[in-house]
Amino acid sequence: MNFSNLFSQFGELTVTGLAQGAIIALFALGYTLVYGVLRLINFAHSEVFTVGAFTAVLTWGAFGLDQDSRTPGLGGFVGYLLIGLLVAAAASAATAVVIELVAYRPLRRRNAPPLAFLITAIGASIAISEFVGVLTHRNNKGVPRLLTQEPVFRIADGRVTNLQILIVVVALAMMIGLDFFINRTRLGRGIRAVSQNPDSAALMGVNKNRVISLVFLLGGLMAGVAAIMYLLKIGNVRYDNGLYLGVEAFSAAVLGGIGNLRGALLGGFVLGVFENYVSGLFGTQWHSVGAFVLLVVLLMFRPTGLLGESLGRARA
Amino acid sequence: MALRQGLTRALGGVAIVALVAGTAACNKGSSDSGTSAGGKNCGYSIGYLGALTGPSANLGVNIEQGAELAIEQYNKKNGKDCITIKKFDSQGSADVAPGLARQLVADKKIIGVVGLPFSSESQAANPILNDAKIPNITPSATNTTLSEKGWTYFHRAVANDSAQGPAAGNYMKSVMKVQKAFVVDDQSAYGVGLADQVKAVLGSAVVGSDKVGGEGKQTDFSATVTKVVASGATALFYGGYYQNAGLFRKQLTAAGWTGALVAGDGVNDKGYIQAAGKEAAEGTILTCPCAPASKAKGSFVTDYKARWNVDAGTYSDVAYDAANIYLEGISKGNTTTEKLNEYLKTVNYTGIANTYKFTDKGELDPTKLIVWAFKVSGGEVVPDQEAPKA
Amino acid sequence: MSEPHTESTEWDDETSRQRVDEPIPTTIGVPHERSSAGAGPAPVPGGAALLEVDNVTLRFGGVTALDGVSFTIRQGEIFGLIGPNGAGKTTCFNAMTGIYRPTDGEIRFTGKRVTGLRKYEITSMGIARTFQNIRLFPEMTALENVMVGADAHHKTSVLGALFRLPRHRREEAQGREKSLRLLEFVGIRHRAGHVARNLSYGEQRRLEIARALATDPKLLCLDEPAAGFNPAEKEDLLQLIRRVRDTGVTVLLIEHDMRLVMGVTDRIAVLEFGRKIAEGTPAEVRDDPKVIAAYLGVPADAA
Repeated sequence: MNFSNLFSQFGELTVTGLAQGAIIALFALGYTLVYGVLRLINFAHSEVFTVGAFTAVLTWGAFGLDQDSRTPGLGGFVGYLLIGLLVAAAASAATAVVIELVAYRPLRRRNAPPLAFLITAIGASIAISEFVGVLTHRNNKGVPRLLTQEPVFRIADGRVTNLQILIVVVALAMMIGLDFFINRTRLGRGIRAVSQNPDSAALMGVNKNRVISLVFLLGGLMAGVAAIMYLLKIGNVRYDNGLYLGVEAFSAAVLGGIGNLRGALLGGFVLGVFENYVSGLFGTQWHSVGAFVLLVVLLMFRPTGLLGESLGRARA
Repeated sequence: MALRQGLTRALGGVAIVALVAGTAACNKGSSDSGTSAGGKNCGYSIGYLGALTGPSANLGVNIEQGAELAIEQYNKKNGKDCITIKKFDSQGSADVAPGLARQLVADKKIIGVVGLPFSSESQAANPILNDAKIPNITPSATNTTLSEKGWTYFHRAVANDSAQGPAAGNYMKSVMKVQKAFVVDDQSAYGVGLADQVKAVLGSAVVGSDKVGGEGKQTDFSATVTKVVASGATALFYGGYYQNAGLFRKQLTAAGWTGALVAGDGVNDKGYIQAAGKEAAEGTILTCPCAPASKAKGSFVTDYKARWNVDAGTYSDVAYDAANIYLEGISKGNTTTEKLNEYLKTVNYTGIANTYKFTDKGELDPTKLIVWAFKVSGGEVVPDQEAPKA
Repeated sequence: MSEPHTESTEWDDETSRQRVDEPIPTTIGVPHERSSAGAGPAPVPGGAALLEVDNVTLRFGGVTALDGVSFTIRQGEIFGLIGPNGAGKTTCFNAMTGIYRPTDGEIRFTGKRVTGLRKYEITSMGIARTFQNIRLFPEMTALENVMVGADAHHKTSVLGALFRLPRHRREEAQGREKSLRLLEFVGIRHRAGHVARNLSYGEQRRLEIARALATDPKLLCLDEPAAGFNPAEKEDLLQLIRRVRDTGVTVLLIEHDMRLVMGVTDRIAVLEFGRKIAEGTPAEVRDDPKVIAAYLGVPADAA
């Protein structure tokens, strides 16, 4: 245990943990949305992320950018960022909706048992990630440097960089937008209705299949944005990145209370920061041990996670 | 995994040589130190067992051509077809190699083998060679465990993986004069081994260390980057493989850390430069238990080019020496496999790449180990200098 | 699995649980006009056929839950469907609202086949229902519960909602206003902002009715709406049902409590063991010997 390490780098570890947590949280929303409505863990969500990430890198490549290109100016950065966000969100959302249509909807129509959904989810996940793996020769794909990371200000000993601010702000903005959509619009109301009582919702005229497609679409949009933030932060993407990040995102969703949007946000931040503290205290090799022990202990005392399982609204 | 790592490392070597070769100078000097007179002992064969086709063919071809050149030069003095080479194409595969080893041992003319190039295929095929009592010298398989299986007919003409750690440590200490170093490994046997040896050499200059996830298991290194930056280290040794090394290097650079990254041959792959980006990869030091073929003594570089119409590649020089060790033994009348193996036990042979003396386990004598440092410069891996032995 | 018997049991459990959990209020918050209509059943309106149940049979494996049942509900009436526990009332109801598909026979609504349509399609035709065991959206407010029903008629797209286009905002405002009016109508407007699961049992029942009405139904089907109510609450419910009918909505009432049914319905069909044994005005049905036999041993006010 290295307490001096933890204390001397506390601010820095917190800031980098929040940035990583923001990405995990955006990723986690897809699991939580789908679970909220279908009570299904969509394991293929990790590939929704992967497809978005590669689409963005390829698109930037089509503009002549690779990892060795010169860093563009502010205007270029904003332009490329928006293009990246757009194509990644579109590709991820499309992938998510197609997975729903091809893999899950036929099972629902036939009233398949939950196990069939689980295996289909795992199968879809492996099939897509391996497909991407073969296409990309399982190599890392370098991401163009769109932004030079520079410290903007300091909190205690921690430098806060422009990229970290961007990531956290974008994640919060997406989260607020989604929260608004779910809680304040007609379609969001439909989603909550289906999640709370699918039969009643159908009898109230809610088209369940449309709601389900919508939920996959929203999860995909969030994963696409998460993919761009990930690319900017990590600088590389590989076919299996989604799988490992997906486990963390799924855990964050459970930690916060699966099915609960705000829980996903909280879970992501808690997981990201806690992993960093464990890394500082015990060494990076322990970060997963620490995070998952936290998860297990927390679930012992709060089996439904930090905020409880409820889509869109914390329990009154 | 073991195979893949072996292949990637080997391929990395090929890449280096392709780069090195362009700058290879023609230096003419004395030649043929390996052939002494005595042309009576003819009619025997030397086998080559290793890849000639397949994804990792380049390295195998380097080796086979080096050995074949040595035999041709020997035959010029001792009569046409005095000694012949017999080739068995393993495609670098641990599944294919054992079957070929059985074919090889059935050929009673073959009394020595140059090979096998890769560690995983060596592990699969060496028991067969050993049971048949056929001496073999690998010019390139570097997994340390190969010499620990009790194979009395196994020999290794290069340093194994365990030589790289001390060499990298010494390079950091004596050449780079590092005062503050950070050491990171990826928790693989290979990475931990290297990192621990580097720590032992650097001693109190190590200001911090950390362990990260292996390939694909971790992509966000921010916690470790934080520690490296906070430690004030000017150099970092990374024990692990090229993909994560690239990610790590890129994130270090993005966080503003300008120190140098030093790593072993597991990172010696163009994939490292791809992942890190040319700018971040610039100045990275990579060790290899090999010497640049362009540095070989004598007329080897020009002879090789004249014969094969390509530049000598990684391990071509060592393979040339390995074949010449056999040829010298044969010329001295060691014309059975057992006698030839006995001969290898006492040999002290000076070739074009190194001087060869084997321990009782078949490893190169510790004083003979050569490890070179290469440097990433302008997006390419170029030879820097031989790593100091202390 | 869900035989009529099981459903009744489930209902019983549900009711008793609710009774324990939630104290039943003796009065419901909103004053009602105790109208003149309260004296007896309204005159039978001679409306056109709205819902036709035509020779419907429904089997689950070897069990015949409904056996050739036919009846017609006319526009503007309050129609009662009664029978002892396990007679097939709820099954019949579920067949009408698209939850079960009849093995044989046909159900028509305003002359169009209902059989085989999806639930939300049936809703959009104009059939709404409430459940024996309350099925609200527990984590949503009373207002939101009703708005889900009102939403069925809205047209805005995902993009419209995301970007708050004028049409979306207008529809939201309309839906909110309509929903508040409906809450007012059933007498729980003051609870609009409360989460549904925090409402009292009686309020939840009323909320279910408001939510069903929000889909603008031609036919409102109430499945044992008085379950778990005390006599005063039952009386309030009768008033509410009449007022619903007075707004032009036809009502189908499935009940178990004879007194309630007799007091409010225009016509009644009686089921026993999946068969219709009688149909007619409350007076006719009350005197039917088959009906008396069916209910023998079962107290008339069982509830």
